[in-house]
Amino acid sequence: MLHAVLTGIPLTLGVTAAALIIGTLVSLPLLACTLSGNRLLWLGARMVIDLLRGVPIVVWLFIFYYGVTLGSAKLSAFGAAVLGLGLVSGAYLAEIFRGAVSSVSAGQFEAGRALGMTSRGLWADIIAPQAWRVALPGYTTYGIGLLKDSSIASTIGVAEMVFQAGNFARTTGNGIVVFLLAAAVYILVSVPVGILSRRVDERMSAVVAR
Amino acid sequence: MVRVRDLSKAFGGNPVLEGVDLTVLEGTVTALIGPSGAGKSTLLRCMNLLERPDAGEIEIGSHRIDARSRFSKRQLYALRRETGMVFQHFNLFPHMSVMRNVVLPQQRILGRSKAEAEHRAQELLARMGLADKGGQYPNKCSGGQQQRIAIARALALEPRVMLFDEPTSALDPEVGAEVLEVMKELAAEGMTMIVVTHEMGFARNVCEDLVVMADGGIIEQGDPQRIMGDPSHPRTRSFLHAVLQR
Repeated sequence: MLHAVLTGIPLTLGVTAAALIIGTLVSLPLLACTLSGNRLLWLGARMVIDLLRGVPIVVWLFIFYYGVTLGSAKLSAFGAAVLGLGLVSGAYLAEIFRGAVSSVSAGQFEAGRALGMTSRGLWADIIAPQAWRVALPGYTTYGIGLLKDSSIASTIGVAEMVFQAGNFARTTGNGIVVFLLAAAVYILVSVPVGILSRRVDERMSAVVAR
Repeated sequence: MVRVRDLSKAFGGNPVLEGVDLTVLEGTVTALIGPSGAGKSTLLRCMNLLERPDAGEIEIGSHRIDARSRFSKRQLYALRRETGMVFQHFNLFPHMSVMRNVVLPQQRILGRSKAEAEHRAQELLARMGLADKGGQYPNKCSGGQQQRIAIARALALEPRVMLFDEPTSALDPEVGAEVLEVMKELAAEGMTMIVVTHEMGFARNVCEDLVVMADGGIIEQGDPQRIMGDPSHPRTRSFLHAVLQR
Protein backbone atom coordinates (compact mmCIF):
# COMPACT_ATOMS: atom_id res chain seq x y z
CA MET A 1 0.00 0.00 0.00
CA LEU A 2 2.76 2.37 0.97
CA HIS A 3 4.53 1.20 -2.11
CA ALA A 4 1.64 2.24 -4.35
CA VAL A 5 1.64 5.75 -2.96
CA LEU A 6 5.40 6.07 -3.03
CA THR A 7 5.66 5.03 -6.67
CA GLY A 8 3.23 7.83 -7.54
CA ILE A 9 5.21 10.57 -5.81
CA PRO A 10 7.83 11.19 -8.53
CA LEU A 11 5.16 11.81 -11.16
CA THR A 12 3.13 14.02 -8.82
CA LEU A 13 6.18 16.14 -8.14
CA GLY A 14 7.31 15.94 -11.77
CA VAL A 15 4.00 17.10 -13.21
CA THR A 16 3.83 19.90 -10.65
CA ALA A 17 7.37 21.12 -11.23
CA ALA A 18 7.19 20.90 -15.01
CA ALA A 19 3.82 22.67 -15.10
CA LEU A 20 5.08 25.39 -12.76
CA ILE A 21 8.11 25.98 -14.95
CA ILE A 22 6.03 26.09 -18.12
CA GLY A 23 3.46 28.27 -16.38
CA THR A 24 6.11 30.74 -15.28
CA LEU A 25 7.58 30.87 -18.77
CA VAL A 26 4.15 31.33 -20.34
CA SER A 27 3.08 33.97 -17.82
CA LEU A 28 5.91 36.35 -18.68
CA PRO A 29 4.96 37.08 -22.31
CA LEU A 30 1.31 37.29 -21.24
CA LEU A 31 2.32 39.76 -18.54
CA ALA A 32 4.42 41.74 -21.00
CA CYS A 33 1.46 41.97 -23.37
CA THR A 34 -0.97 43.12 -20.70
CA LEU A 35 1.51 45.79 -19.57
CA SER A 36 2.70 46.82 -23.02
CA GLY A 37 0.21 49.64 -23.42
CA ASN A 38 -0.57 48.30 -26.88
CA ARG A 39 -4.31 47.70 -27.13
CA LEU A 40 -4.07 44.79 -29.53
CA LEU A 41 -1.48 42.94 -27.47
CA TRP A 42 -3.47 43.65 -24.35
CA LEU A 43 -6.66 42.34 -25.91
CA GLY A 44 -4.90 39.24 -27.22
CA ALA A 45 -3.38 38.44 -23.84
CA ARG A 46 -6.67 39.07 -22.04
CA MET A 47 -8.46 36.68 -24.36
CA VAL A 48 -5.84 33.97 -23.88
CA ILE A 49 -5.92 34.42 -20.10
CA ASP A 50 -9.71 34.36 -19.91
CA LEU A 51 -9.92 31.39 -22.24
CA LEU A 52 -7.39 29.38 -20.23
CA ARG A 53 -9.02 30.22 -16.94
CA GLY A 54 -12.56 29.83 -18.19
CA VAL A 55 -12.37 26.11 -18.89
CA PRO A 56 -11.94 23.50 -16.14
CA ILE A 57 -8.45 22.04 -16.00
CA VAL A 58 -9.74 18.52 -16.47
CA VAL A 59 -11.34 19.56 -19.75
CA TRP A 60 -8.10 21.09 -20.95
CA LEU A 61 -6.25 17.92 -20.11
CA PHE A 62 -8.65 15.82 -22.17
CA ILE A 63 -8.46 18.32 -25.04
CA PHE A 64 -4.68 18.16 -25.06
CA TYR A 65 -4.64 14.43 -24.52
CA TYR A 66 -6.97 13.64 -27.39
CA GLY A 67 -6.43 16.69 -29.52
CA VAL A 68 -2.74 17.42 -29.80
CA THR A 69 -0.75 15.35 -32.20
CA LEU A 70 2.92 15.72 -32.93
CA GLY A 71 3.22 14.48 -36.49
CA SER A 72 1.58 11.08 -36.30
CA ALA A 73 2.30 10.61 -32.61
CA LYS A 74 -0.17 11.63 -29.98
CA LEU A 75 0.96 13.63 -27.00
CA SER A 76 1.69 11.31 -24.06
CA ALA A 77 -0.52 11.53 -21.01
CA PHE A 78 2.34 13.11 -19.10
CA GLY A 79 2.93 15.60 -21.90
CA ALA A 80 -0.73 16.53 -22.11
CA ALA A 81 -0.94 16.96 -18.34
CA VAL A 82 2.14 19.15 -18.17
CA LEU A 83 1.06 21.21 -21.17
CA GLY A 84 -2.51 21.69 -19.93
CA LEU A 85 -1.59 22.46 -16.34
CA GLY A 86 1.30 24.62 -17.51
CA LEU A 87 -0.78 26.79 -19.82
CA VAL A 88 -3.53 27.27 -17.27
CA SER A 89 -0.89 28.10 -14.67
CA GLY A 90 0.56 30.64 -17.06
CA ALA A 91 -2.76 32.46 -17.15
CA TYR A 92 -3.15 32.52 -13.37
CA LEU A 93 0.48 33.44 -12.74
CA ALA A 94 0.27 36.28 -15.26
CA GLU A 95 -2.53 37.70 -13.15
CA ILE A 96 -0.57 37.25 -9.91
CA PHE A 97 2.44 38.98 -11.44
CA ARG A 98 0.34 41.75 -12.92
CA GLY A 99 -1.09 42.51 -9.49
CA ALA A 100 2.41 42.56 -8.04
CA VAL A 101 3.70 44.92 -10.71
CA SER A 102 0.82 47.30 -10.21
CA SER A 103 1.65 47.39 -6.50
CA VAL A 104 4.99 48.99 -7.34
CA SER A 105 4.39 52.71 -7.13
CA ALA A 106 4.38 54.86 -10.24
CA GLY A 107 7.14 56.88 -8.60
CA GLN A 108 9.54 53.96 -9.02
CA PHE A 109 9.00 53.93 -12.78
CA GLU A 110 9.37 57.70 -12.88
CA ALA A 111 12.54 57.72 -10.83
CA GLY A 112 14.12 55.10 -13.06
CA ARG A 113 13.12 56.90 -16.23
CA ALA A 114 14.21 60.27 -14.92
CA LEU A 115 17.62 58.79 -14.15
CA GLY A 116 17.82 57.76 -17.78
CA MET A 117 17.47 54.01 -17.36
CA THR A 118 16.49 51.98 -20.40
CA SER A 119 13.21 50.16 -20.04
CA ARG A 120 15.04 46.85 -19.84
CA GLY A 121 17.25 48.15 -17.04
CA LEU A 122 14.29 49.67 -15.29
CA TRP A 123 12.45 46.35 -15.26
CA ALA A 124 15.47 44.26 -14.36
CA ASP A 125 16.89 46.44 -11.61
CA ILE A 126 13.93 48.31 -10.18
CA ILE A 127 10.51 46.88 -10.95
CA ALA A 128 10.98 43.11 -11.11
CA PRO A 129 12.85 42.76 -7.79
CA GLN A 130 10.17 44.75 -6.00
CA ALA A 131 7.27 43.03 -7.76
CA TRP A 132 8.79 39.61 -7.07
CA ARG A 133 8.71 40.25 -3.35
CA VAL A 134 5.02 41.07 -3.56
CA ALA A 135 4.29 38.13 -5.86
CA LEU A 136 6.12 35.49 -3.85
CA PRO A 137 3.34 34.59 -1.36
CA GLY A 138 0.78 34.36 -4.17
CA TYR A 139 3.23 32.39 -6.28
CA THR A 140 3.85 29.79 -3.57
CA THR A 141 0.16 29.56 -2.80
CA TYR A 142 -0.42 28.89 -6.47
CA GLY A 143 2.38 26.34 -6.51
CA ILE A 144 0.82 24.48 -3.61
CA GLY A 145 -2.53 24.59 -5.38
CA LEU A 146 -0.87 23.21 -8.47
CA LEU A 147 0.61 20.33 -6.48
CA LYS A 148 -2.92 19.33 -5.56
CA ASP A 149 -4.29 20.01 -9.04
CA SER A 150 -1.64 17.70 -10.49
CA SER A 151 -3.89 14.91 -9.25
CA ILE A 152 -6.23 15.79 -12.11
CA ALA A 153 -3.60 14.23 -14.39
CA SER A 154 -4.80 10.87 -13.05
CA THR A 155 -7.94 11.30 -15.16
CA ILE A 156 -5.95 10.94 -18.37
CA GLY A 157 -3.90 8.08 -16.99
CA VAL A 158 -0.77 9.72 -15.65
CA ALA A 159 0.40 7.26 -13.01
CA GLU A 160 0.87 9.81 -10.28
CA MET A 161 -0.06 9.37 -6.66
CA VAL A 162 -3.84 9.53 -6.92
CA PHE A 163 -3.81 7.24 -9.94
CA GLN A 164 -1.74 4.70 -8.02
CA ALA A 165 -3.91 4.99 -4.95
CA GLY A 166 -7.02 4.49 -7.07
CA ASN A 167 -5.55 1.43 -8.71
CA PHE A 168 -4.62 0.01 -5.34
CA ALA A 169 -8.12 0.67 -3.98
CA ARG A 170 -9.78 -0.96 -6.96
CA THR A 171 -7.61 -4.05 -6.96
CA THR A 172 -7.61 -4.63 -3.19
CA GLY A 173 -10.96 -3.14 -2.27
CA ASN A 174 -9.16 -1.23 0.45
CA GLY A 175 -9.48 2.47 -0.36
CA ILE A 176 -9.65 4.54 2.74
CA VAL A 177 -6.16 4.02 4.12
CA VAL A 178 -4.35 4.42 0.82
CA PHE A 179 -6.11 7.71 0.12
CA LEU A 180 -5.44 8.92 3.66
CA LEU A 181 -1.82 8.11 3.01
CA ALA A 182 -1.90 10.10 -0.22
CA ALA A 183 -3.50 13.00 1.64
CA ALA A 184 -0.69 12.88 4.18
CA VAL A 185 1.92 13.10 1.44
CA TYR A 186 0.24 16.20 -0.03
CA ILE A 187 0.28 17.83 3.39
CA LEU A 188 3.83 16.74 4.06
CA VAL A 189 4.99 18.51 0.92
CA SER A 190 2.80 21.61 0.96
CA VAL A 191 3.07 22.65 4.60
CA PRO A 192 6.87 23.01 4.65
CA VAL A 193 6.76 24.92 1.36
CA GLY A 194 4.23 27.30 2.86
CA ILE A 195 6.32 27.76 6.00
CA LEU A 196 9.45 28.37 3.97
CA SER A 197 7.67 30.96 1.85
CA ARG A 198 6.39 32.81 4.91
CA ARG A 199 9.90 32.81 6.36
CA VAL A 200 11.39 34.28 3.22
CA ASP A 201 8.59 36.82 3.01
CA GLU A 202 9.11 37.92 6.61
CA ARG A 203 12.83 38.21 6.15
CA MET A 204 12.47 40.30 3.01
CA SER A 205 9.90 42.65 4.45
CA ALA A 206 11.96 43.05 7.62
CA VAL A 207 14.78 44.47 5.53
CA VAL A 208 12.65 46.48 3.15
CA ALA A 209 9.40 47.62 4.67
CA ARG A 210 7.53 49.76 2.23
CA MET B 1 20.97 76.44 -21.27
CA VAL B 2 17.47 75.05 -21.03
CA ARG B 3 14.95 76.29 -23.51
CA VAL B 4 11.31 75.36 -23.89
CA ARG B 5 9.48 76.65 -26.90
CA ASP B 6 5.76 76.80 -27.51
CA LEU B 7 5.12 73.77 -25.34
CA SER B 8 1.60 72.37 -25.16
CA LYS B 9 0.21 69.42 -23.30
CA ALA B 10 -3.32 68.23 -22.67
CA PHE B 11 -4.55 65.39 -20.50
CA GLY B 12 -7.63 63.76 -21.96
CA GLY B 13 -8.68 66.89 -23.80
CA ASN B 14 -7.95 69.21 -20.87
CA PRO B 15 -5.16 71.60 -21.79
CA VAL B 16 -2.59 71.74 -19.00
CA LEU B 17 0.08 73.72 -20.83
CA GLU B 18 -0.67 76.08 -23.65
CA GLY B 19 2.21 77.42 -25.70
CA VAL B 20 4.71 77.84 -22.88
CA ASP B 21 8.06 79.50 -23.64
CA LEU B 22 10.81 79.47 -21.07
CA THR B 23 14.54 79.98 -21.14
CA VAL B 24 16.76 79.13 -18.20
CA LEU B 25 20.36 80.28 -18.33
CA GLU B 26 23.30 78.11 -17.34
CA GLY B 27 24.13 78.47 -13.67
CA THR B 28 20.90 80.12 -12.64
CA VAL B 29 18.16 79.02 -10.28
CA THR B 30 14.59 79.43 -11.43
CA ALA B 31 11.54 79.00 -9.23
CA LEU B 32 8.24 77.94 -10.73
CA ILE B 33 5.35 79.05 -8.56
CA GLY B 34 1.63 79.37 -8.97
CA PRO B 35 -1.65 77.89 -7.82
CA SER B 36 -2.16 74.14 -8.04
CA GLY B 37 -3.32 73.08 -11.46
CA ALA B 38 -1.28 75.83 -13.08
CA GLY B 39 0.87 73.29 -14.92
CA LYS B 40 4.14 73.80 -13.02
CA SER B 41 4.88 70.12 -12.42
CA THR B 42 3.75 69.18 -15.90
CA LEU B 43 6.11 71.75 -17.40
CA LEU B 44 8.96 70.35 -15.33
CA ARG B 45 8.08 66.77 -16.24
CA CYS B 46 7.95 67.66 -19.91
CA MET B 47 11.54 68.90 -19.72
CA ASN B 48 12.87 65.37 -19.20
CA LEU B 49 10.00 63.83 -21.14
CA LEU B 50 8.43 62.02 -18.22
CA GLU B 51 5.41 63.58 -19.87
CA ARG B 52 5.40 63.66 -23.62
CA PRO B 53 4.33 67.13 -24.75
CA ASP B 54 1.77 67.34 -27.54
CA ALA B 55 3.66 70.09 -29.27
CA GLY B 56 6.70 72.27 -28.79
CA GLU B 57 10.41 71.99 -28.44
CA ILE B 58 12.73 71.19 -25.58
CA GLU B 59 16.37 72.06 -25.75
CA ILE B 60 18.88 71.21 -23.08
CA GLY B 61 22.52 71.84 -23.81
CA SER B 62 23.15 70.52 -27.28
CA HIS B 63 20.15 68.20 -27.25
CA ARG B 64 16.91 69.23 -28.81
CA ILE B 65 13.65 67.35 -29.15
CA ASP B 66 10.67 68.45 -31.14
CA ALA B 67 7.53 66.89 -29.68
CA ARG B 68 5.77 66.84 -33.01
CA SER B 69 8.41 64.90 -34.87
CA ARG B 70 9.61 61.41 -34.09
CA PHE B 71 12.68 61.03 -31.97
CA SER B 72 14.75 58.00 -31.19
CA LYS B 73 15.21 56.30 -27.83
CA ARG B 74 18.81 57.40 -28.04
CA GLN B 75 17.77 61.05 -28.28
CA LEU B 76 15.40 60.57 -25.38
CA TYR B 77 18.10 59.05 -23.17
CA ALA B 78 20.59 61.71 -24.26
CA LEU B 79 18.19 64.43 -23.16
CA ARG B 80 17.42 62.73 -19.87
CA ARG B 81 21.10 62.33 -19.20
CA GLU B 82 21.37 66.12 -19.11
CA THR B 83 18.77 66.34 -16.36
CA GLY B 84 18.50 65.15 -12.81
CA MET B 85 15.14 65.07 -11.09
CA VAL B 86 14.09 65.22 -7.48
CA PHE B 87 10.52 64.25 -6.63
CA GLN B 88 8.13 65.29 -3.92
CA HIS B 89 8.01 61.75 -2.57
CA PHE B 90 11.74 61.01 -3.04
CA ASN B 91 11.14 57.77 -4.95
CA LEU B 92 14.23 56.05 -3.63
CA PHE B 93 14.50 52.38 -4.53
CA PRO B 94 13.30 50.63 -1.36
CA HIS B 95 14.92 47.29 -2.15
CA MET B 96 18.43 48.69 -2.26
CA SER B 97 20.73 50.15 0.35
CA VAL B 98 21.27 53.88 0.29
CA MET B 99 24.71 53.31 -1.22
CA ARG B 100 23.34 51.09 -3.95
CA ASN B 101 20.64 53.67 -4.75
CA VAL B 102 23.39 56.11 -5.62
CA VAL B 103 25.80 53.58 -7.15
CA LEU B 104 23.56 51.55 -9.46
CA PRO B 105 22.45 54.41 -11.75
CA GLN B 106 26.07 55.45 -12.22
CA GLN B 107 26.99 51.92 -13.25
CA ARG B 108 24.02 51.51 -15.56
CA ILE B 109 23.87 54.94 -17.13
CA LEU B 110 27.42 56.24 -17.05
CA GLY B 111 29.09 52.82 -17.19
CA ARG B 112 31.22 53.63 -14.19
CA SER B 113 33.01 50.85 -12.40
CA LYS B 114 31.71 49.83 -8.99
CA ALA B 115 34.71 51.29 -7.20
CA GLU B 116 34.47 54.55 -9.09
CA ALA B 117 30.73 54.81 -8.49
CA GLU B 118 31.09 54.02 -4.81
CA HIS B 119 33.79 56.62 -4.44
CA ARG B 120 31.56 59.26 -6.05
CA ALA B 121 28.54 58.15 -4.03
CA GLN B 122 30.44 58.35 -0.76
CA GLU B 123 31.64 61.82 -1.67
CA LEU B 124 28.11 63.01 -2.42
CA LEU B 125 26.55 61.37 0.62
CA ALA B 126 29.18 63.04 2.80
CA ARG B 127 28.33 66.35 1.21
CA MET B 128 24.68 65.76 2.07
CA GLY B 129 25.68 65.07 5.67
CA LEU B 130 24.87 61.38 5.26
CA ALA B 131 28.32 59.83 5.18
CA ASP B 132 27.30 57.09 7.62
CA LYS B 133 24.02 56.15 5.93
CA GLY B 134 25.34 54.16 2.99
CA GLY B 135 24.57 50.77 4.51
CA GLN B 136 21.04 51.63 5.59
CA TYR B 137 17.88 50.96 3.67
CA PRO B 138 15.86 54.03 2.66
CA ASN B 139 12.92 53.18 4.92
CA LYS B 140 15.21 53.50 7.93
CA CYS B 141 15.98 57.10 6.99
CA SER B 142 13.91 60.18 7.79
CA GLY B 143 12.10 62.04 5.04
CA GLY B 144 14.70 64.79 4.99
CA GLN B 145 17.48 62.24 4.74
CA GLN B 146 15.68 60.39 1.97
CA GLN B 147 15.30 63.57 -0.02
CA ARG B 148 19.00 64.37 0.34
CA ILE B 149 19.84 60.83 -0.76
CA ALA B 150 17.60 61.38 -3.78
CA ILE B 151 19.52 64.58 -4.54
CA ALA B 152 22.81 62.69 -4.25
CA ARG B 153 21.47 59.98 -6.56
CA ALA B 154 20.58 62.54 -9.20
CA LEU B 155 23.82 64.51 -8.82
CA ALA B 156 25.90 61.36 -9.17
CA LEU B 157 25.00 61.30 -12.86
CA GLU B 158 26.52 64.77 -13.35
CA PRO B 159 23.44 66.40 -14.85
CA ARG B 160 23.59 69.76 -16.56
CA VAL B 161 20.37 70.87 -14.93
CA MET B 162 18.53 69.74 -11.81
CA LEU B 163 14.74 69.65 -11.82
CA PHE B 164 13.07 69.80 -8.41
CA ASP B 165 9.37 68.95 -8.21
CA GLU B 166 8.13 70.31 -4.89
CA PRO B 167 11.09 68.77 -3.05
CA THR B 168 9.99 69.89 0.41
CA SER B 169 6.21 69.60 0.15
CA ALA B 170 6.10 66.18 1.81
CA LEU B 171 8.39 67.25 4.66
CA ASP B 172 7.92 68.98 8.00
CA PRO B 173 9.10 72.58 7.81
CA GLU B 174 12.28 72.07 9.81
CA VAL B 175 13.20 68.95 7.89
CA GLY B 176 12.42 70.78 4.68
CA ALA B 177 14.86 73.45 5.79
CA GLU B 178 17.71 70.88 5.75
CA VAL B 179 16.85 70.06 2.16
CA LEU B 180 16.59 73.71 1.19
CA GLU B 181 19.99 74.30 2.76
CA VAL B 182 21.51 71.61 0.53
CA MET B 183 19.80 73.13 -2.50
CA LYS B 184 21.12 76.54 -1.57
CA GLU B 185 24.66 75.17 -1.47
CA LEU B 186 24.15 73.58 -4.87
CA ALA B 187 22.93 76.89 -6.23
CA ALA B 188 25.98 78.63 -4.81
CA GLU B 189 28.18 76.15 -6.65
CA GLY B 190 26.60 77.20 -9.90
CA MET B 191 24.26 74.29 -10.57
CA THR B 192 21.48 75.15 -12.98
CA MET B 193 18.24 74.45 -11.16
CA ILE B 194 14.54 74.65 -11.91
CA VAL B 195 12.43 74.35 -8.80
CA VAL B 196 8.69 73.93 -8.52
CA THR B 197 8.04 75.14 -5.02
CA HIS B 198 5.75 76.75 -2.50
CA GLU B 199 8.73 77.91 -0.43
CA MET B 200 8.49 81.64 -0.99
CA GLY B 201 11.56 82.35 1.12
CA PHE B 202 13.66 80.09 -1.06
CA ALA B 203 12.19 81.58 -4.23
CA ARG B 204 12.92 85.08 -3.04
CA ASN B 205 16.37 84.61 -1.55
CA VAL B 206 17.99 81.88 -3.60
CA CYS B 207 16.43 82.06 -7.04
CA GLU B 208 17.58 84.46 -9.73
CA ASP B 209 14.43 84.09 -11.74
CA LEU B 210 10.84 83.70 -10.70
CA VAL B 211 8.26 82.24 -13.05
CA VAL B 212 4.63 82.57 -12.07
CA MET B 213 2.25 80.19 -13.77
CA ALA B 214 -1.53 80.03 -13.89
CA ASP B 215 -3.98 78.14 -16.09
CA GLY B 216 -1.36 76.45 -18.21
CA GLY B 217 0.72 79.49 -19.02
CA ILE B 218 3.38 81.79 -17.64
CA ILE B 219 1.77 84.99 -16.48
CA GLU B 220 4.78 86.73 -15.06
CA GLN B 221 8.51 86.22 -15.03
CA GLY B 222 11.46 88.13 -13.66
CA ASP B 223 13.43 89.11 -10.60
CA PRO B 224 11.88 87.40 -7.55
CA GLN B 225 12.31 90.40 -5.26
CA ARG B 226 10.61 92.69 -7.75
CA ILE B 227 7.70 90.37 -8.48
CA MET B 228 7.09 89.58 -4.86
CA GLY B 229 7.34 93.22 -3.93
CA ASP B 230 5.29 94.53 -6.80
CA PRO B 231 3.46 91.90 -8.82
CA SER B 232 2.05 93.26 -12.02
CA HIS B 233 -0.48 90.55 -12.84
CA PRO B 234 -3.66 90.41 -10.71
CA ARG B 235 -3.40 86.59 -10.57
CA THR B 236 0.13 86.87 -9.21
CA ARG B 237 -1.05 89.37 -6.66
CA SER B 238 -3.89 87.19 -5.40
CA PHE B 239 -1.68 84.08 -5.40
CA LEU B 240 1.13 85.76 -3.46
CA HIS B 241 -1.38 87.26 -1.12
CA ALA B 242 -2.90 83.85 -0.41
CA VAL B 243 0.48 82.16 0.05
CA LEU B 244 2.09 84.84 2.19
CA GLN B 245 -0.98 85.06 4.43
CA ARG B 246 -0.42 81.52 5.64
